Amino acid sequence: MKKADRLKIVSRYINNMPSLPVTVSKVQEICDNPKTSPVDLYKVISLDPVLMGKVMKLVNSAYYGLSDKVTSLVRAIIMLGMNTVKNLALSSAVMGIMGKEKNFIKLNSDMFWEHSLCTGIIAKKIAGDSTSGKGEIEEYFITGLLHDIGKIPLISCFPEEYTEMVRKRAEGLYSSINEAETDYFGMDHTSTGKMIAESWNLGEPVRSVIVSHHDPGSADAKYLKLTYTVIMADYLANIYGCYFSGNCCPPDPPEEVLRLTGIDESYLDGIRVFVKEEMEKARIFLEIKN
Amino acid sequence: MRIKLWGVRGSIPSPGADTMKYGGNTTCLEIDPEDGGTEIIIDGGSGLRLLGNHLVKKYLPDKNIELDFLITHTHWDHILGFPFFTPIYIPSTKLRFYGPVTYEEGGIEEIIGSQFQYRYFPVIKSELSAEMEYNPLRETSFYLRDGIKITTKYLNHPVLCLGYRIECGGRCFCIATDSEPFRNVFPTDPEDPDYDRTAAEEGEEAAAEENRKLVEFFSGADILVYDSQYTKDEMENDKLGWGHSSYEFAIEKAFEAGVKKLLLTHHDPERTDEELDILISFYREKYSDINRKMNFSLAVEGREYFL
Repeated sequence: MKKADRLKIVSRYINNMPSLPVTVSKVQEICDNPKTSPVDLYKVISLDPVLMGKVMKLVNSAYYGLSDKVTSLVRAIIMLGMNTVKNLALSSAVMGIMGKEKNFIKLNSDMFWEHSLCTGIIAKKIAGDSTSGKGEIEEYFITGLLHDIGKIPLISCFPEEYTEMVRKRAEGLYSSINEAETDYFGMDHTSTGKMIAESWNLGEPVRSVIVSHHDPGSADAKYLKLTYTVIMADYLANIYGCYFSGNCCPPDPPEEVLRLTGIDESYLDGIRVFVKEEMEKARIFLEIKN
Repeated sequence: MRIKLWGVRGSIPSPGADTMKYGGNTTCLEIDPEDGGTEIIIDGGSGLRLLGNHLVKKYLPDKNIELDFLITHTHWDHILGFPFFTPIYIPSTKLRFYGPVTYEEGGIEEIIGSQFQYRYFPVIKSELSAEMEYNPLRETSFYLRDGIKITTKYLNHPVLCLGYRIECGGRCFCIATDSEPFRNVFPTDPEDPDYDRTAAEEGEEAAAEENRKLVEFFSGADILVYDSQYTKDEMENDKLGWGHSSYEFAIEKAFEAGVKKLLLTHHDPERTDEELDILISFYREKYSDINRKMNFSLAVEGREYFL
């Protein structure tokens, strides 16, 4: 298939991208419950990268015409109110459910969910623990959560080829997942991620990190700390076992990433416990069996 | 600019001997920015019935009725006057509606029009004679006509609700009815099982910033009509999240914004005239310093102001 044809398929998919099956029933339960707390609403949206992206897209759409761009879900709930955000989440969640598709098989979607959430949690933890980054901690979480969003259209649109590609990568045929994706599809998940970030109007920081999270050298100087933190979080998520197809054995992060994020060995042990607990809480909240 | 209050009661029309002084009709205000030009009507609560009758007498048969409606939101007490608004049945009437978008329920046309169904009322929407135009509004600023600037601001209410700032000829009128102070809805106590530091900090900052924007929105207004359905104690007791404000918040924020005259509105339907009299005396005493610098009083149905 030509690259142009693949691009058309991917673009069409992005316009109607469904939510992850892992969260949909919980979203419906929470949004249908009149007694839902803001905390539960925040949790259920922030546990699904697709839903988070779509809700932020709607919040910032011309439909509401907010004078300032809203990059935080907390802020959206306070500004627009629970009912509006509930409706946005519900309509985003039920627009399509990935589990109903044969393409994005359940194993893939669960692994994707775990890796995305784990990266978001670690990025938020690093930002919260460091002296800088305060006041924008949620942005670290959202960016971590969404860094790999570009994988969804590739896996969903070309499932068999993607599975084959993952196998070949595991056999050592490709040095990186990006190289493998580009060879197979003429584009990698950072370029499809960029398409999503632009189509959903996710904002420049998120777009920038999605584009450069496999290439720290290309990181925009304005978002260096954010990019490096997400790269570190991505790496840690992988070595903690929250890895996703095709990227089970990532290279060590460059020295400058470690330096800028100020991370050392003793800190990593603490993070491991924290992440485990947070992931467990998320599973309990979503009623997912381990 | 001329302003007349046709309805200042909150929630539900409340006629009776106990509400004669302040009035029982729900929100409806007539603003004539040019004092002799096309009127702007804010909300179609039950006060709209009397305003409609007044406009028919004022304009017909010599002139046609032409009006701009600025709808704050579509809760029942703010739109229930439309079926009894006589000009809507007159073919020469032209009505332009402006109101907030509602994600879940369709546009304002559908919501206002949905009252005109046989199950609720003997006239259906297609039988209305007036020419009507609907314009969804967001948080924005625009000129309604030459020299009349309208600015909107989203308020904190269970449904999207707009505050309006109307500026004309160097005068400024603002209204924020159904407007709960923005607050952090996320737990801030680290001991709370739902505590999340990010959400707690971001929530504090977002609420403070939105309240700051609210003050900016009505800064320097000659008249501000502001929601004060409850006292601060009532709100904190069991009314948080209901989408309304307190006398305390209204007075303090209006003063902070340099408002010249504050009219406290959306009186609770359970509040009697006597109770309202006691409350305003109490607040004039409590805020005696402010009261010397800023005029504040309770909104009274039928009262007219000239700027």
